[in-house]
Formats: sequence, structure tokens, C-alpha cells
Amino acid sequence: MPVLRIFRLIFILIAVMAGPARADDAALRTMLNGLANADGFAAIEKIVGDIAATGDPKAERALGALSSGDLYVRKADKTVLIGKSKTGGYVLSDPLTGDVAGEAKRSEVEKIKVNNTLRRVVREALGGLTLASVDPRARLNAAETIFKSGDPHAIPTLDAAIARETDPAVKERLMEARASATLKAQAPVAETTAALETIAGRGDREALSLLKSYEAGAQGELKDAAGAAIAKIEQTLALWAAGQNVWYGISLGSVLLLAAVGLAITFGVMGVINMAHGEMVMIGAYTTFVVQDLIRQYSPDLFDWSLPIALPLAFLVSAGVGLIIERGIIRFLYGRPLETLLATWGVSLVLQQTVRSLFGPTNREVGNPSWMSGAFQLGELTITWNRLWIVVFALIVFALLLYVLNRTALGLQMRAVTQNRRMASSMGIRTPWIDAMTFALGSGIAGIAGVALSQIDNVSPDLGQGYIIDSFMVVVFGGVGNLWGTLVGAFTLGVLNKFLEPYAGAVLGKIAVLILIILFIQKRPRGLFALKGRAVEA
Amino acid sequence: MSAKTTTSILYLDGVSVSFDGFRAINNLSLVLEPGEMRAIIGPNGAGKTTMMDIITGKTRPDEGEVFFDGRVDLTKHDESEIAMLGIGRKFQKPTVFESHTVEDNLVLALAGPRKAIPALFHRQTKAERERIDEILQTIRLTARRDELAAALSHGQKQWLEIGMLLAQDPKLLLVDEPVAGMTDAETEETARLLREIAQTRSVIVVEHDMQFVRELDVKVTCLHEGTVLAEGSLDQVSGDSRVIEVYLGR
Amino acid sequence: MITRFLAGGLERRINILLAILVAAAVLVPVLHLAVPASSPLHMPTYVVALVGKYLTYALLALALDLVWGFCGILSLGHAAFFALGGYAMGMYLMRQIGARSVYGNPDLPDFMVFLNWKELPWFWHGFDHFWFAMLMVMAVPGLLAFVFGWFAFRSRITGVYLSIITQALTYALMLAFFRNNMGFGGNNGLTDFKDILGFNIQADATRSALFAASALALALGVLVTSALVRSKYGKLLIAARDAESRMRFLGYRPENIKLFAFTLSAVMAGIAGALYVPQVGIINPGEFAPANSIEVVVWTAVGGRGTIIGPIIGALLVNGGKSWFTGALPELWLFALGALFIATTLFLPKGIVGAWEEWWKQRRERDGRAPMMSARNPIESPAE
Repeated sequence: MPVLRIFRLIFILIAVMAGPARADDAALRTMLNGLANADGFAAIEKIVGDIAATGDPKAERALGALSSGDLYVRKADKTVLIGKSKTGGYVLSDPLTGDVAGEAKRSEVEKIKVNNTLRRVVREALGGLTLASVDPRARLNAAETIFKSGDPHAIPTLDAAIARETDPAVKERLMEARASATLKAQAPVAETTAALETIAGRGDREALSLLKSYEAGAQGELKDAAGAAIAKIEQTLALWAAGQNVWYGISLGSVLLLAAVGLAITFGVMGVINMAHGEMVMIGAYTTFVVQDLIRQYSPDLFDWSLPIALPLAFLVSAGVGLIIERGIIRFLYGRPLETLLATWGVSLVLQQTVRSLFGPTNREVGNPSWMSGAFQLGELTITWNRLWIVVFALIVFALLLYVLNRTALGLQMRAVTQNRRMASSMGIRTPWIDAMTFALGSGIAGIAGVALSQIDNVSPDLGQGYIIDSFMVVVFGGVGNLWGTLVGAFTLGVLNKFLEPYAGAVLGKIAVLILIILFIQKRPRGLFALKGRAVEA
Repeated sequence: MSAKTTTSILYLDGVSVSFDGFRAINNLSLVLEPGEMRAIIGPNGAGKTTMMDIITGKTRPDEGEVFFDGRVDLTKHDESEIAMLGIGRKFQKPTVFESHTVEDNLVLALAGPRKAIPALFHRQTKAERERIDEILQTIRLTARRDELAAALSHGQKQWLEIGMLLAQDPKLLLVDEPVAGMTDAETEETARLLREIAQTRSVIVVEHDMQFVRELDVKVTCLHEGTVLAEGSLDQVSGDSRVIEVYLGR
Repeated sequence: MITRFLAGGLERRINILLAILVAAAVLVPVLHLAVPASSPLHMPTYVVALVGKYLTYALLALALDLVWGFCGILSLGHAAFFALGGYAMGMYLMRQIGARSVYGNPDLPDFMVFLNWKELPWFWHGFDHFWFAMLMVMAVPGLLAFVFGWFAFRSRITGVYLSIITQALTYALMLAFFRNNMGFGGNNGLTDFKDILGFNIQADATRSALFAASALALALGVLVTSALVRSKYGKLLIAARDAESRMRFLGYRPENIKLFAFTLSAVMAGIAGALYVPQVGIINPGEFAPANSIEVVVWTAVGGRGTIIGPIIGALLVNGGKSWFTGALPELWLFALGALFIATTLFLPKGIVGAWEEWWKQRRERDGRAPMMSARNPIESPAE
């Protein structure tokens, strides 16, 4: 293909004449039109490389069109133009300016085909071009693209970009991109070592994979330097991974806290094991579903408000059901905790089956409002909005509950009954009423926990079952009759679970936690924060 | 360990224990001679029951020495071991096995091996039967031997519990408020019973009923805020100005 | 000594129960095998299998009653011991399949071939021998109960705390057995059994024999349990239920008393599970589900805890009801079961047998006869 070779020569000459950073439109146009005669992907790739070397931002449009397959050759005059399909043909426009350049029938033009390799080359080329963009974010992205490709040809462009860059963040990225390119460029030892350090300073996964691939091909001193850089990054990454685990643990802990805190109150105050507690959570989740369903039907604009609307409703529905259970069953069983446990298990079966009959046995769709969707990046941490909101929400619920218990008359009476039921009763506290209110409060809190859990879990009739044992573990671990114990218990178990998971897997991690709790109860049968003294023994 | 410990049946020295910062027992010292009966009095919260908890191993003291029979350090043993050493305890609230008959209550209390497996194949011996008959007579429950303990009156349950202590054949009996809820006649009867028991064993009686304490006619120790306030005959103790102050207020 | 011990448990009601069980062990196989299918007296295969299954449930309920009714330990994890016994039997039955499996590997069960395992894990060794498997049926649940109970009772965990950690125990085991790499067949468990001791497991004669074995095992369980609760040890058991601290101050160790009962109970549950598996033809991790354990509790409660025949009546009645319901009105079964839990605790705390005994006692007293002096089978509500 001698013709091609000549063309290439010409192009290079032109490119060199035009200077590394700038080329006028004519030169670009010539290069672009060269695509019309390019034979095969390799030839196109060559031309793209040449265009990229000009560093002219004007080529952006043309390259973008090439990568998306919108670049065509008009057969009549062998010019390269951008084509947008319309019925029966294309609307053509200028590849540099974007001005409309007439229309063409299907048969009059020929598409310039691209494959995946070529698309990548184009993307990299675009990265080089956008280095000159006025938008700092575009420059940042461009630097990032070069960092990943490490194209040695980009070094002069990068040097120029670094020289004129004013934004320090972008400058840093550009330096890293240059370091990456330096590695590929077989640069002198000192320069390469400096580049390795720059990349190591970046400390993320991309830097790591870059260094690893470099290390594989490097030798001697440089190999060692790369190894040291890798070790440094791995250390940083391990710290981040630990941080991510802590976050997952906190997230799980907040879920456990929500599920367990209502239980802690009923168990603490009444000594009642409510096996139907999980079903109160489930009822809260289904309340959310119903609220969202109604909103979808009657007023879709309110969808983002569905959770604030569902919260009080879920509280009321679950508290109401709790009140009925307490008045209808549990109050006849006081002083017989094991029977209460069985009766409430029966209640849980009935509630599950009721929900199954009403809503069907399958999962129901509960949507995330826009403010709870998506995720953001914090360093190397990925934090999803719904998890973050649930952590915040759990802490708010906890704080409210502390307030109710410590600052209100109901709370005072509840604490009195917890400590000494008989004494409280003879002080004129209506203990049956306190029991009913406590049970309703605990159930209501389970209900609002259900609203939160509907955002991260499947809403099905079995929803509650998955939480009941974990919640009991939290209460038992934290100690009965102490809300702070529940808080510490929930987060400790949450974090512990997530830290064991990477080593033992999710299931074995869970089993390990259960065994740890069983062993822990050996040491402290009444939990982390237990009430002490003679009164407890009685 | 002083020389005293080698001869006394029970020796407490400098014992303290606190719950959540509250000092239930504060530097308590008490010595009981073999064969002695002692009455302990004191207002509510004086630490009488906690003292019994410490002697029987239910509560561990924070500091201080507790020795039994001259040489056994009670702080190193748990409830069952201490019971097997020969210390019996009657609770404030009568605690018997309510779903067993009066006789079975005594059978379970009888001195002998306490292991689980041998109990499977246990057969009552003649000696055991005779001992039970004897105790039933002493506690005046012969007529009700086949009834459930739950069916007994409060006073009878108290007696049954004392009977169980006798069956256990301890060297030292700790008796917490034995006449609470008893009629005058029963109280008198109980005092007689305890005096009889004290002929062969050491006894500590905790009681509020001064009439009953007077009937026992033994040395009295008055506890207050976990420490010994006064010790001596009932007349001496009740004449003590500090004791009067504690009981009646200033 | 043993015979004298066992004879100690005999009383009229127990004798009748034992007679019925032995008669069933003889009669049912006869009615099933010898009576022609056309005869109205013929017992069809599905009835034999169903009632045989109920009998193993009854043994499980009796095991639970020993610890709950007589000793006040409400175990919410007894299905775990049942399932462990079942798995031990299942492993023996898997080894019996040999090369007749789908993959035809003579050394490895199908699921191991599927997982690409090269050799049998160490804990599967020995299960080709029936005697070894039977030993494990008793040893594994017994050992687990012993270790768990030793920890729990020693630290004086009682009441609802104990119930909750037993539930956690069976939950943890369920999660573990669901894992494929535990080596117990994961989700699917162990199934596709071919024969037992060389007899085809589907054959009528084998089914009859398994039925008879279940009836006799239950009879033996009744005999042992009733002798146990009548001995001095049984009195200690009830004493530990009602006044643990009194026992301790008498010099007993309630934890040891409880531990023995708990371990024995787990062994009984394991045997029940081992008889269950060949009759239903499968064992999977679902058997560990906490709900199963609680269902056992309700059988016992319905029949009457703290009695020997109560749990057996309860297991037969509730499971009979379940079979009928799930056939006739499947969606109502959970309502019925839930209502049963609530109604039993509220209105029938002593169960059917307890209520019947009370009624009988009242009638006698009305008739002016002397009140029953006996304190046998006391079911006063335990101090908790």
C-alpha cells in the first residue's frame, strides 16, 4: 500500500510544520479528508493519532462523530462530513464548524466504519484534545483519560497543558497523567522513579492497576521502585477498605438499631418477648407500600414526599396493632414470659398470613424517592444516599426515644415500672396503662423502622422474620433496660458482622457473631450495660 | 488469719461489698462460736440479707475475710459447695418445692450424695425413712406428709423449710425471719424449735420481731448501714443510745 | 438396676399407652402387608408413612416435654437436634446409594461430584456402617446439647434468655447447612435414598418395619421418660424448675441436673429425626428453621406439658390437623396454627391432658370422694 504510506508521510510533514500544539483549519481538514482514502482500521487509527497530536480542540466534533459512527464520506467529492440520518438519507454538516452542508441520499455517502479498538483510540485522542478545553472539569476528565491510557505521545501536549494550567486540582491530575505516560515512554530512570512516586501518591485502584502492569514489565531498580509504590498504595487502599467496612457496619448497625430499639423498650419495661415484633416492622413497610401506591395513582408529583407521609401513618398503624395485641392477649399473660413468647409467635403467624392474603406472597415494589437514590464518592468510599439517610434516621429515632424516656411524664413512669413494678404501682402509676402505652410505642417504632427498611429490603410477608433473631441478639448483647446498651450493641454487632464477612463470608460471619454472643452471655449474662444490685436478682 | 479463726464456726472480718456505688456491707466483722445461737436485728437496709448472701456464696465480697469452721475460706466456694460444707439457709420468703409433697421435700433435702446420675437409681433406705419420720414429728407435719407443699399455710411452709434444713444436717443454720406471718402461738412454737436445734448446731437468726428475739434469749447483734452497731444481750443492745437512735430516729 | 429403674415408671395410664404403641407396631404392618388391598381393613401405604412420621414427631415432642414440662427449660431449638439425627441417618442412606446415583460415582454422593469434589470429606467417613451412623444419630445431638447446655446452665441463663439463644443456635445451624461447601448437600439436602440395611426403602415391608421401629422407639421413650420423672432424679428436675436457688442452697447443682435432662432429650430428638428421614425420604436445612422448633413447642403445649401422654396426644392432634388443613384449606393453616398458639396459652395453659385431669379431680371432689393425694405429674405453673 504505497499510496497510504505517501499520504502518511505528507500528513506527518504537515503536522510537524503546523507545530505540536496548533494547526490551522486547513491542515485539520486535509487530515480528516484523508479518512476518505484510509483503507482499514489501522490506517484510520494512524490518522486519528495525527489529529490528536495537533491538540486542536476544533477536532473534537469530528472525532466525537467518528466514535459514534456519524462520520461519512461523500462519494462525489471524497469529502468527510458528519451525517445525521433522516428519512431516505442524511443531513450533512461540516465536521469542524458544524455548519449544515446540505443533504445526501443513502447511496451518495459511505459510512466510515469503526471498531472497538478504534473507539478507544478516538476516546484517548479526544482526551488529549480536551486538555485545552476552557471547562476545568473537561480538562480534568481529559487528564484522567490519558492517565488510564498512558499514551506516551501525549507528553508534549501534557507539558503544554501543565504549563498553562492554573487550577491546582487539575494540575495535579495532569502531573499524574504525565507520570503515567512517562512510564510507557521508556524514560530515564530518575524521571521514571519520580513518575512512580507521583502515581503512588494518587493511592487509588487505577493507580494500583497501572503500577501492577508496569511492574510486570519492569526490571531491576525500577521494578523495586514500582513494588514499593504498589505496597504504599495497597496500604492506603487497605485503610480505605477498612473505612468502607466500618461504613457498611454502621449502616447495618443502624438497621439493627431501628429493628431492636422498639423491642428493647417492650422487653425492658415489661419483660415481654414479643415474637411479633418483626411483623410490626413488616406492617410499617407495607404501610409505605400502600402510601406510595395511592400517591402513584392520585398525585405522582408527591412521590418524593411519600416517606415523610408514610412515617406517621406507619407509626399509627403499627402502634394500633400493638395496642390491640397488648389489650387482647398479652395483658392476660403477665408474669408468664414463656407463654407470652408463644402467644406472640402465634400472633406473628396470623399477621404474616393476613398480609399474605391481602397483598400476595410475593415482594411488593417500594420505590426510592429521588433524594434517596444514587450514591456519592467520598475518597475511596462509596456511600449510597439511602443508607446514609437510614443511619441519620436511626439516630434521630434513637434521640427522640431518649427524649421521651428521660424528659416526659410517660418516660418517667415507664422507667419507674422497669425498675420496680410493685413500687410504681403503689405510687399510683397505672401500670396496666403504662404497659399498653409502652407496647404501643415499641410497636410504633417498629412501624417506622419498617418505613426505613422498605427502602433497602424486599417488602414481603417474611420481612420481619429476617430481623427478629438479630434484634434479640442486639437487646441481649446490649443489656436489658438500657437504651444506650441497645445503641452500642447494634453498632458493635453491625461492624463486627461486616468485618468478619470478608474473612469468613456472609453466612459464616453471621454464625461467628452468634457464637460470640453466646460466649459473651457466659461472661455477662445480663448484657453489656446491665442493671446491677439486689433488686435485679429478685 | 488470727488465732480466733481456728476455733470459731464462722468468722467475718472487715467484709465490704457494694452495688453500683452503694455500700450494702461496710467493714463488717462478726464471730460465731460453735454451738452458739445469735440473733441479728437491724432496720431495713441494714445489710442483714446481704450478709447471708455473702456467707452462703451468693454474693462475693469486694474485700474482707470469711472463714467457716476455722479453716474454710467461703469466698472461694459457690452456693452448692458451701451447702455441702454444712451451712443451711432459710430464705426470708419461705422457699420450698411447691409441686412436691411435704415428704418429697424432705427426701430431696436429706443429707447424701448430690449427683444427678445416682439420683436416677436411688432407693430409699430404712434409715432415711426413719429420719424423715423424725423430722416430720419435729416440725409437726406428720399428718400432712402426702400433701403438696403448695397447699401448706405460710407458717407451715416456714416450718417445712426449717425441717429441710434439719434434713440437710448442717453445722450452721442461717434463718432469715422465721416467724414472719405467723400467729403468736406459732411464733412461740418456732422459738422452742430453734432453741432445740441450737443444742446441737450453731444458728444465726435474723428477725424483726423483738418479742421473738426475747424468747430466744441469746446474744444479739444489731446491724446498721452494713456494719455492727452494738452487740450483747437484748437488754444491753436495746438500751444502747445509738440503737435507739437508729430505730426511732433522733 | 436398669429393669428396676424402668419398672419404676409404670402406672395405669402409661401401661395403656405402651400397650397401644406395641399393638400398633404389630398390627399396622399386618394390616398393611397381609390384608389384601381390596379389604376395608387394608392400611394404605400413605397412611403408614404419614402415621409413622407423626410417631417420630411425638417422640420429638416427648423429648421437648422432658426439658420444658419437667424442668422449665423452654428450648426453641429442639428441631436442631432432630435435624442433626436426621442428617446422620441421611448420610448413611446416601452412602448406601453407591454407584446407583445419577453421576454413577461409587465413592461420592451426587452433590459432591457436582461440586467437583475429588474425595469424601473426613466427616463422611464411617457412615457406610449402619452401627456407626446410629452411634452418630445419638452422639452428635447429645454432644451439641451437652456443650451448649454446659455453657448455658453454668452461667445461669434461664427463662426467655435461654429460649432466645437456643433459637439462635438452630438459626446458626440452618445458615451453616444451607452452605454448599459444608458438605451436607446445601439447599437440597440429602435425598434420592435407595435402600436401608439392604432393603428397598420404598418397599411396603420396609415402610412397615420403619413404622414399627418408630412405634417401638416412642414406647421406649415413654418408658424411659416416665421412669426418669418418677425417680428421685425426676423430683430434682421438677425442683430445679420450681425453686432453683433452694436446690442450690441444699447443696445440689441445678446446672448438672438440667444438663443431664437436656442431653438425654437431645439424644431422643436425634433418634426421632433418624426415624423420620427414611420415612419422608429427604432431609434438608429447612428442618433447622426456628419455626419448626416453635411448632414442636405448641404440640407439647396443646397436649399438656409436664405429662407423659400430653405431648404425644398434642403431636398427633396438631399434625393430623395440619395434614387435613393443608389438604382442604391450605391458606387457612397458618391462621389456625397462630390461633392455636394464642388459644392454648390463654385458655388451656395446662393443655388437653392437664384440663382433663383437673376436670376429673373436680368431679371426684364433687362426688365426695377423698381428694387425690398423689402429687404425680405436678404441672403447677413453674416459677420463672
